[in-house]
Amino acid sequence: MTLSTLRSTPHPRRRSIAAGGLAALVSVALAACGAPSASDSPSAASNISAGSGTGTLKVWALDGQSAENTAIQKIVSDFESTHPDIKVKMQFLPADSFAKALQTSSPADLPDVLEVDGPQIANLAYGQKIAPLSDYVSAATVQNQTDAVKGQNTVDGKLYAVSMMNSGLAMWGNKKLLDKAGVTMPKSASEAWTADEFTEVLKKLSAVVPNGKPLGIAENNGLSSEYGIYGFSPVLWSAGTPMIANGKASGALDSDTAVNALKKFASWKQFTNPDGDGTAFQSGQVALNWMGNWMYPAYAKALGNDLVVGPLPNFGKGAKTGSGTIAWSLGGHTKNGAAAGKLLDFLMSDPVVSTYTAANGAPPATKTTAASSPLYGAGKPLAFLRDQLDAACPTEDRLSQQCVAVSRPVTAGYPVVTSSFGKALTAIWGGADVAASLQAAARAIDRDFADNNNYK
Amino acid sequence: MTLLIRSQARRTAPPTQRRKRLSSHAIMGPVMAAPALILLAVFLAIPFLGAIAMSFYRLQLNSTRAPRFIGLEQYSRLFTDPDISAAFLHSLGNNFTFAAVVVPVQTALALGLALLVNGKLRGMAVFRTMFFMPLVFPLALVAVVWRLIFARDDHGLLNSAISLFTGGSVGPHDWLGSSATAMGAIIVMSIWQSVSFQMIILLGGLQAVPHDLYEAASLDRAGRWSQFLHVTVPGIRNTLIFVALLTTVFSFRLFDQVYLLGQSGSVDIESTQTMMYQVITTGYDQNNIGQGAAMAVVFLVIVTIVAVIQRRLVRQEGSIR
Repeated sequence: MTLSTLRSTPHPRRRSIAAGGLAALVSVALAACGAPSASDSPSAASNISAGSGTGTLKVWALDGQSAENTAIQKIVSDFESTHPDIKVKMQFLPADSFAKALQTSSPADLPDVLEVDGPQIANLAYGQKIAPLSDYVSAATVQNQTDAVKGQNTVDGKLYAVSMMNSGLAMWGNKKLLDKAGVTMPKSASEAWTADEFTEVLKKLSAVVPNGKPLGIAENNGLSSEYGIYGFSPVLWSAGTPMIANGKASGALDSDTAVNALKKFASWKQFTNPDGDGTAFQSGQVALNWMGNWMYPAYAKALGNDLVVGPLPNFGKGAKTGSGTIAWSLGGHTKNGAAAGKLLDFLMSDPVVSTYTAANGAPPATKTTAASSPLYGAGKPLAFLRDQLDAACPTEDRLSQQCVAVSRPVTAGYPVVTSSFGKALTAIWGGADVAASLQAAARAIDRDFADNNNYK
Repeated sequence: MTLLIRSQARRTAPPTQRRKRLSSHAIMGPVMAAPALILLAVFLAIPFLGAIAMSFYRLQLNSTRAPRFIGLEQYSRLFTDPDISAAFLHSLGNNFTFAAVVVPVQTALALGLALLVNGKLRGMAVFRTMFFMPLVFPLALVAVVWRLIFARDDHGLLNSAISLFTGGSVGPHDWLGSSATAMGAIIVMSIWQSVSFQMIILLGGLQAVPHDLYEAASLDRAGRWSQFLHVTVPGIRNTLIFVALLTTVFSFRLFDQVYLLGQSGSVDIESTQTMMYQVITTGYDQNNIGQGAAMAVVFLVIVTIVAVIQRRLVRQEGSIR
C-alpha cells in the first residue's frame, strides 16, 4: 500500500518550490562530483559491515497513525531494555515525504535500520539505499516470514526487507443492501463472481441504492496515485497477464488480455459512486466497495453485523488481490549490521508483531502470529483476507489460477511503472481509449528501462 | 514577492532621501542587497544553472550509475518523441489556456471585489475577512471541498444545484473527468482560491488614490462610471499592471490544484496537466531528473519571453502625486 493511505489518513502531497530547489541543489552536487559509489555498472560490492553488535543505531520510521507510532516507540524502548548495550536513535519522518527523503539522501545520511514502502524495495536496492539482510537476521526470522511478503521483499533472489505486516484487498459488502437485491457475497476466491456476473450483480444492486450507483472503488485515493496500481493491478493479474514480463512492459501491460480486462473494468464506471470523501460505503449509499483491509475498523463501526467480505471479481484466471506494504530494511551503508540485525529480529518476534498489528489492524506478516491473530485467525472476521494472503503467487511472474495474493512488480524501474500505470488508469477511467492508453504507458516504461540499461 | 517590495519601494522612497545617501552608496548598497541576492542566488540562480547542466545528462534519482552525457537528446525528445512531445506540448497549451482566462478574469474580479470592500459600510472588516479566507485555507482542503462540488453523480453539489434550477432537465455532468470542462473547473477553483490576494493588493492601491481627486471630479459633475475610468483606473494603474504580471507568473506555475485533484480523485489529466506538473512528475515521481530539468529550462525560456513581452506592452509609469 502507499505510505500515506495505509499508515495514516491520506495526506495529499504538497511540494514547495524551495524544496524542489533544494533537492535540485543536491542533485547538482551529485551531478558535479558524482556520487561517491558511482560507477558505470553498479557492483553488488557490499557497503556494509557487521560492526561490534553494540553502540547506537540510527532508525528511520514512518510517522504513521498515532497508535502505530506509540507502538513503535514502546517496542523500541523494550528493545533497549533487553539489549542494554545498544542505543536506538529514532527519527519519525512524515509519510508524504518519506520516499523522497530516501531517494534524495546521500549514503552518509542513511540510517542503520529503516522502514521502506514495499514496491520501492527493488528501486532502493538498486540505489544501494538498502542492503541484503539474510546475513544479519536470524534464519528463524526469515523462515517465519509469510510467502506473500517474501515475494515483495526479495530482489534477484536476495532478501532486502522483513515485514511485520501485510495488506490485502477485498470486496466489502453491505449485507442489508445485498439481501434486498437478492445477491449473495461469494465466500472464497474460488467462488468469486466472474466479471460478467459482476456486471449483472451491479445491475441488480443499482435498484436498491439511493442514487443507482452501488459500487465504490475509493476514487478519493486518486487513481494516478500509488493506490491506482495497488488497487487495480489485480484486474490485469486476474485476467492472466503480468504488467512487466521479461523486463518489458510491451506485450504484457498492453496485451489484448490487459486491454479487454481494463475495458470491462471501465464499463463499471456507470455503476460507480464517485465517493468524493470516502464515506459512501459507511453511509449505506454503496452496496459493494473495492478496498483494502485498513478501512475495516471504519466499516465495522459503521455497518456492524451487516459488513460482509469477499473476493474481487475474477477476470478469467482466478480472483486476485494486491499485497505488500511497509517493511523494515537494513540501511545500505550501515557500519553496525550486527546490532541492526538484532533490532530486526526483535521487531519480527511474535509479541512485537502481535502488539504492532493489534495497534493498526493490519494482517500480520509472520507465520506464527498470523494464525493466532484476533482479527485474521481462523474463524475471525478477516480470516478471509488471510486465506487470500496465504494463497500467495507471490509475484506477478508466477501467476496461476489458484494463487490469489500478488505483489506489485518487483523491479528497480518501479517509479516509472507506478507513475505510467496511474496515468493510464486515470485516462481509461475517464473514458480514453484503453489500448492507446496502455500502449503509451508501456512505451514510457520501456523507454525508461532502456535509458537505464534495464537497471542492470 | 520581490516584485511587490520593489514596486512599493519605488512608490514610497522620496527622491531627496535617495540623493542624501549617495555618498555611502558604494558600500551600503551592496550590503543591503546582499541578503536578497544571496537568497536569490542559492534558491534561484544556482539551481537553475544546475538544471541547465543536468538537462544534458541522463541523470536518474536514486541510481548509483554515474550521470551520462547525452548532449541535446533530452531536448530533441521534448519536441520529436511522439509520446513525450505530445504530453509536453499539451501541457504548454493548457498553461496558456489557463493564463489566458485567469489573468484577465481574475484581475477584473479582484478589482471588482476591491471596489466593493473599499466602500464605507458597517462591518466591512467582516466582508474583507470572508473574501480573504479561501487564501489561507490549505490547498489540500480546498481540493477536497471542490471535489465534492464537482462530483460527477447527481448528488454532486454543482450537479444537484443545476438540476434544481433547471427542474431536472439537465442531467449530471462529470466536471473534472470530462476533457471539455476539466480545465474550466480548475480555473474556477483557482480563481476562487486566490482572487483575494489580488484583491488585497488592489485595495491597497485604491486607498492610495487621493480623495480630493474624487471630490474634484464630482465638482466637475463626473458620474460614478467616469470617476472610475478617469480617476480610479489611472490612480491604480501601476498596481493593476503589477497585479496582472503577478497573476501571469502565478498562473504559469499552476501545479498544486492539478496534482492534488489527480492524487485524490479522478480528473482528466490530459486536459489539465501543466508544465510544472510535467516537470515535477517526470523529475520526482519517475525519478527522471535529466528530462525534468530539460522541461524546466524550456519552460523558463517561454515564461521569460511572455514576461518580457508583457513588460514591453504595458510599462509602469511614475505614479500620480
